[in-house]
Amino acid sequence: MSGAHMTRAERRQARRIRRFDNPWLNPKLIWGAGLLLSIIFIGIVGRVLWDLELVFTGSSPLKLPPLGFENLRGQPGVMAHPIGTDGGGRDMLAMIIIGAPNTLFVGLLASLIGMSIGIFLGFSAGFLGGRIDDTIRVGADVMITIPPLLILVVFQSAFGDVTLTMMALLIAGFVWQSPTRLIRAQVLSMKQSGYVQMAQLSGASTSHIMFREMMPNLVPYLFGSFIASVTTSIVTAVGLEVLGLGPQRIPTLGRTIYEAINAGALIQNLWWWWGIPTLLLGVIFIGLLLINLGLDEVSNPRLRRLS
Amino acid sequence: MLDDVTTDKPVLTLKDLSIEFPTPAGVVQAVKALSLDIHKGRRVGFIGESGSGKTTTALAVMQMLAEPGRVSGGTIDLGGTNILALSEEEMRSARLSRVAYIPQGAMNSLNPVMRVEPQMWDGIIAHEGHLERGELKRRSDAALQSVGLPLHTAGLYPHELSGGMKQRVCIAMGIILNPELIIADEPTSALDVVTQRQVMQTLKAIQTQIGSGLMLIGHDMGLMAQTVDELAVLKDGALVEHGTVQQILEAPAHPYTKDLISSVPLVGGESFLNPDARADAPKRASSEPLLRFENVRKDYGSVTALHPMSFTLQGDTPQIISIVGQSGSGKSTMGSIMLGFNPPSQGRVLFEGRDVAGMNAAQSLDFRKNVQAVFQDPYACFNPFYRVNHALKFPYKQFGLATSEAATQRAMEAACEAVGLDPDLVLPRYPHQLSGGQRQRLIVARALMLSPKLLIADEPVSMVDASLRASILSNIYDLKDKYGISILYITHDLATAYHVSDFVMVLFKGHVVEAGPPKEVIGAPRHPYTKLLIDSIPWPDLDRSWGDGRTDWDPTKLEAEAARAEAIYRGTVPGFDLIEEAPHG
Repeated sequence: MSGAHMTRAERRQARRIRRFDNPWLNPKLIWGAGLLLSIIFIGIVGRVLWDLELVFTGSSPLKLPPLGFENLRGQPGVMAHPIGTDGGGRDMLAMIIIGAPNTLFVGLLASLIGMSIGIFLGFSAGFLGGRIDDTIRVGADVMITIPPLLILVVFQSAFGDVTLTMMALLIAGFVWQSPTRLIRAQVLSMKQSGYVQMAQLSGASTSHIMFREMMPNLVPYLFGSFIASVTTSIVTAVGLEVLGLGPQRIPTLGRTIYEAINAGALIQNLWWWWGIPTLLLGVIFIGLLLINLGLDEVSNPRLRRLS
Repeated sequence: MLDDVTTDKPVLTLKDLSIEFPTPAGVVQAVKALSLDIHKGRRVGFIGESGSGKTTTALAVMQMLAEPGRVSGGTIDLGGTNILALSEEEMRSARLSRVAYIPQGAMNSLNPVMRVEPQMWDGIIAHEGHLERGELKRRSDAALQSVGLPLHTAGLYPHELSGGMKQRVCIAMGIILNPELIIADEPTSALDVVTQRQVMQTLKAIQTQIGSGLMLIGHDMGLMAQTVDELAVLKDGALVEHGTVQQILEAPAHPYTKDLISSVPLVGGESFLNPDARADAPKRASSEPLLRFENVRKDYGSVTALHPMSFTLQGDTPQIISIVGQSGSGKSTMGSIMLGFNPPSQGRVLFEGRDVAGMNAAQSLDFRKNVQAVFQDPYACFNPFYRVNHALKFPYKQFGLATSEAATQRAMEAACEAVGLDPDLVLPRYPHQLSGGQRQRLIVARALMLSPKLLIADEPVSMVDASLRASILSNIYDLKDKYGISILYITHDLATAYHVSDFVMVLFKGHVVEAGPPKEVIGAPRHPYTKLLIDSIPWPDLDRSWGDGRTDWDPTKLEAEAARAEAIYRGTVPGFDLIEEAPHG
């Protein structure tokens, strides 16, 4: 059958089948990764092309609108500040170039640390069992019931000004519980599986069974769990920043929103001040969600549909 | 109304039915132009391997084909109604009231958080609207009674019932609306032989009583021969033979049917093995017996899975010792204790004089090399992440047998060929690309490569298609005959134990009840429990009264009787000493 004779439905079917064959060609995954990469891209290219000195207070005229708009004082947007400036005289574009990757960085670092703790504790609990398992399980269960924002607010106000890394570390203390539980459950069921028994019969060491037999099969779960905890970490970080906590001198998307609210940007109709960072946060979350959905389909062939 | 259906009109007519599944590799024809009638009151068996299209056909009749499968041609006529033309809602009301489906795993089909009674009412309410509570109760009680369950079952939760009772609850739910056609999809595959016989009797009796047609799906020729009137043999989606059971058993026309019939091992029948020149056991440095159980006992909480047992397996001449019993008899517990996976609650397990529980690292590695296993589930035995050769290569290297990469490859190829697999075709594949039979053979090949002194085979063929069982068992038998490996064969299948073993132990509730050479124990059983087990095996022998719906056959009573009887020892074989249990009472 040649391509020209295929009906539209048949072509669509053929495309779906190709996608079924190579799960990584998943449109959701590609779109999600694309959105996140574009944020990183803005950060890299912006650092080369744009003047980063403009993030300092008073480096630019105040409250200029984006190009093609007018503010309440009737000032038009100018080329020098294409997406406007804020109430402190900072260029919005420079803030985004530095702030958006910072937000992503906090999320990635926090969940990377959280996942590492989770993998370590989950494997220990599932594999060793007994009292160690009880301790870890109860610990994770207790931590899951504590609202992280509450504790973090107290911590951060006690620390005062923190660095991005410090904030990521603090958040990591609250994103290890669900990976721990997830991995523990998977390890427990895998421990009973035939291939682990076979490996035991083959005289395999515990570390071989953990890392060579079990770990590869856990990869899809780890990925999914990682993405989910990046989302949680970013939400927590932004929540703190919007409350005015977190790093005081480093621009992040959350901090920008905090300052906008604080300066009454909503009443003064300075929509670009709070709107642009919110939009970027939305892009990040949608990107993460799409990656998560895509990974689900990659790791679970039953979700992939042919028709 | 049911009564309007004239007897000469079939309940179900399949005409040129074709079903296809579009897959990435192209369209798969799951069922090819199948034509068949099922008449009122007739039992028709669909037999074939997994993947032969029998379940797919049944699901098409229910309009429950899994995505993306579709009926690509032909018609399905259910008592005058064209099923394929029914709307979703019309089909919903036809299910259960006109065609009932009894699924394979009853344990997974019942709602675990609902009592039995309301689950039975659900079906009635969905078809007839809300009825009075008294009426619902009357009907569910009648259904439970008709499957021989006591009325108090209605108030129990599924986890409080045994497997056989759950399956009978499923049957009761299926017949509660007196359907014209009952489809039973391997209704007893998860049950042991004694329960299987009981459930099949129930199903036959109730089907006769309501006079519906029965479509029984299965792969066990013996069970089919004892249950159905007509047999339809399916292979690769095509109907290769159809006729009465008598015709097919006495004069099978298609070679595949002949294979199916001959693959059922019979007690006392012709052996499916061709014993080779006997090999000597591998030279052993130790003069200690190969395996020794010293008063080994295993408790799980307050339940004793294995009562104190002692035996010595010398291992100087290779032998196959069979341990037979129902599920829950303690036979698999024995297997895992021997492998050192499960420490005994009391007593010691000695391998060549060393306690398995107290070995150092080097001794443990040596023990692992010399005691290997073949497990029940060939699907779980391979890590899905690796190609199958990982399972063969890794232990070979781990035990220091590999001298070079090329030598390992040669050893793998030789082992594959010894079990009848083409190494180039099989070794570079991923586990999901191989059939259950191929995987189980690979596990046997793995054991062969390592040449252990002792092999524990725990139900090695119970999850493999019937036509392959005999050949895999003879692969295992070859391990003993050609390579001199002693084998402990754990099984519920007395017929195969009869043929392969040198000594048989029958286990019942953790006790040995009868032990001795297979010709005596299985060929002429004396203990009531052994007799019960043998009576329960369905054989393709039409003269046997296996499932004739006799009501006096009550396994509960027979088991109680068996529990009171003393163990019977029927002689010994050299090289294996079973210490007799002191008579109880």
